[in-house]
Amino acid sequence: MTQTAEHTELREHVLLDRPWVTLVWDDPVNLMSYVAYVFRSYFGVTPKQAERLMLQVHNTGRAVVATGNRESMERHVEAMHGYGLWATLAKADE
Amino acid sequence: MSGLRRFTPHVSGFLFARFEAIEVDLLRLATSQLVDMLDAGAADPVLARSNGVFGRLLPDAYRDDDEAAAEFRRFTAPGLLERKEHNAQIVLDTLGTERDETETDDEEHQPVTISLDPNAVQAWLRSLTDLRLTLADRLQVSADGVVHLEGEDAPFLRELYDWLGMLQEELVYAIDV
Repeated sequence: MTQTAEHTELREHVLLDRPWVTLVWDDPVNLMSYVAYVFRSYFGVTPKQAERLMLQVHNTGRAVVATGNRESMERHVEAMHGYGLWATLAKADE
Repeated sequence: MSGLRRFTPHVSGFLFARFEAIEVDLLRLATSQLVDMLDAGAADPVLARSNGVFGRLLPDAYRDDDEAAAEFRRFTAPGLLERKEHNAQIVLDTLGTERDETETDDEEHQPVTISLDPNAVQAWLRSLTDLRLTLADRLQVSADGVVHLEGEDAPFLRELYDWLGMLQEELVYAIDV
């Protein structure tokens, strides 16, 4: 019983609090090496992951670099703007 | 200075940067202008909202929600502008005082070594980005990277833009261990 109730609660919580994402967009100014450096040093991802995300930005025009609640995504976007990257946030399914 | 690395990491954690005196002058001039511009934007939020260059330094955080974007800007723009200005000021401090203008051409090419602590390196990385974003706006760089500005300023600004990019690339590689 307890378990079921918890599960229901969790499901509702997830439904109500749809995750948000931080997106970084391709721009003609920032260097690929710098963008990969920012991903590595700010998000703490491995050099390989940073390279993959950077190439995704470069090749497809954008990449999701973080997922979570709205407040933390706003923090990430602000940090990216501090680095001079073009970042936005949106609901995960948009 | 050809053949020599511009940035050399030191065991102390400092990074030594080698420039010609005239390059330091150029960087100081460009960074001073950046400080003035950020200052103007911080003092006048309306200007900061309407001027194109601020649109790129402080882009909309929400693409399809103007209200949320405006709200985000209201909360974050003052702090971001202040930090950008602070970074630019750190760059100016590391560049030292202006040279005496009566110095000869010879002295323009004298090597200058600048030492950057880790904090200054971060300030340099961000300020070089802000400088390039600002220049890209003036050069009317389109999404495909093509420069559209014409006129007598264009070649110099273009050269400066490329030089700052090279500098930043070298800086990233120097700390990328």
